[in-house]
Amino acid sequence: MSDPLLEVSNLTATVAGFEVTHGIDLEVGEGEAVALVGRNGAGKTSTFRSIMGLTPIAGGSIRFDGEELTDLRSELIPKRGIGYQPEGRDLFTGMTVEENFRLPIWTAGDARGIDDEDAVVEDVFDLFTELENRRDAEVQNLSGGQGKMTAIGRALALQPDLLILDEPLEGLAPVVVENLKSYIREIIDRDISVLVAESNASHVPEIVDRMYVIERGEIVDSGDPDDLVQDEEIQLLMQGGGT
Amino acid sequence: MFESLPYHALNGVYYGFILFMIAAGLTIVFGVLGVLNLAHGELYAFGAFVAFSIVGYLTGLVAEPTGPVTALIFGAVVLVGSLAAAAVLLPVGATLEAAFVRPIYDRDDVYQLLLTYALLLILTDVMKFVWGAKPLDVGVYDGLNAIPTTELFGIDYPTYNVVVVAVGLVVFGWLVWFFDRTKTGRIVRATAIDREMATAIGVSTDRIFTLVFAMGAFFAGFGGAMVSIGPGSAYLEMGLSPLVLSFVVIVIGGLGSLRGALVGALLVGVTTQVVTPYYSELELAVPFVLMVVVLLVRPEGLYGTWGEIE
Repeated sequence: MSDPLLEVSNLTATVAGFEVTHGIDLEVGEGEAVALVGRNGAGKTSTFRSIMGLTPIAGGSIRFDGEELTDLRSELIPKRGIGYQPEGRDLFTGMTVEENFRLPIWTAGDARGIDDEDAVVEDVFDLFTELENRRDAEVQNLSGGQGKMTAIGRALALQPDLLILDEPLEGLAPVVVENLKSYIREIIDRDISVLVAESNASHVPEIVDRMYVIERGEIVDSGDPDDLVQDEEIQLLMQGGGT
Repeated sequence: MFESLPYHALNGVYYGFILFMIAAGLTIVFGVLGVLNLAHGELYAFGAFVAFSIVGYLTGLVAEPTGPVTALIFGAVVLVGSLAAAAVLLPVGATLEAAFVRPIYDRDDVYQLLLTYALLLILTDVMKFVWGAKPLDVGVYDGLNAIPTTELFGIDYPTYNVVVVAVGLVVFGWLVWFFDRTKTGRIVRATAIDREMATAIGVSTDRIFTLVFAMGAFFAGFGGAMVSIGPGSAYLEMGLSPLVLSFVVIVIGGLGSLRGALVGALLVGVTTQVVTPYYSELELAVPFVLMVVVLLVRPEGLYGTWGEIE
């Protein structure tokens, strides 16, 4: 594996005082695409939110590009180069698609060294061509797929080194899922590292280089996605059986 | 019986814009911070007291008005003094937010109400300490009486009141422009819509909250300064009634809605000023009856955007 860009060690996250992850270890290398696969409630979102500083941690370390993130205030984490698409999209309603793309540039553009705001926004629209004719639409009027694209585009507008995508394919029609997969592959081709959470393991081999399996807040396996998806124990685990 | 109705209606518009300036600050603070600030009325009174001090000093620098032109200059000095008084409220609001309000954002609403009520009492004592317990009525604004009245719809109407309406319109236009068009305004809206996601794109919510609370204090203070100029007095209890009516206004308009605050303020202002001269016993009931009627028809208020600035 290439040098780790993100290195999570022994991470224990808490929600309302209860531990929801227990000693998570995972790494993402520069330009690498990695998946965190697990059933709903397995701890994927809590892990991602901990990396973004949105869920408190009880212990462990999160290093990004050599810097310890757990010492930073949450708003500084995107400025270090981590873009985040949350599970529920969480778009800024009442604002247009384009405004949602511009907001991260206004808040973190200086820290990310963005000189040409318009060029970055057009670059995002160039990737998500389906959003081009919806740029002035208020985001609450978008379809599910367009909403996911807008949430990913907003994270991408930060010009991140690492993009964290939480269930980008969940709840979408098959044809939209295929579209989004191709967009994610295109993002990876741009040498942006990607960490993606998925509850449907069958999507993963087409997107990522490596995958971790999480169950009940612990990493239970990791390795090549093609092998792990074929593994009967993993399949049983994803269906709610196993240990 | 109703010959003077148009005059009362104009008074209602004037009073409505005063209410709007106070309610705007209240609704912005609630929309973004989610805090119902009971001390807002004292910030309004604070603005009136500071205006007396600043305008008293400034008008001492200009000659007493002897004609329409010098009276207009005097009026301009009073207006600038009011703005300066409101500007004093910016650091006051920022300090109150950072020192007292910030630690209790995650607490239950009851803590917020108790804290802002405590701030109300503290601010009252600060004003008592600085300006004394007696009402201020020192003739600072007497020069405004030299300004000729303005004829509106065949009525000779105080020019100062017309200026207040114009200033209220400018304040509304500025706020809409700020939140719809400026980067900072849209970042504030994003923070109001989704605090966590705003953090995840690099927004320092601490800074935004301080800015918004300071803005709320500014508009409360500006409203206080403007309203104290008309009758020419300021007193410690002056914040109570506008605070209660501002709550009525923002509930009618929809919590967090600027457009709602304007429409609600004009509705409350005009209705109370038109009804009260003829049925004075209904003075207290009118705004609340209006609120109940609106809530029965539209429970979320006229422009209901709970928790969002619009």
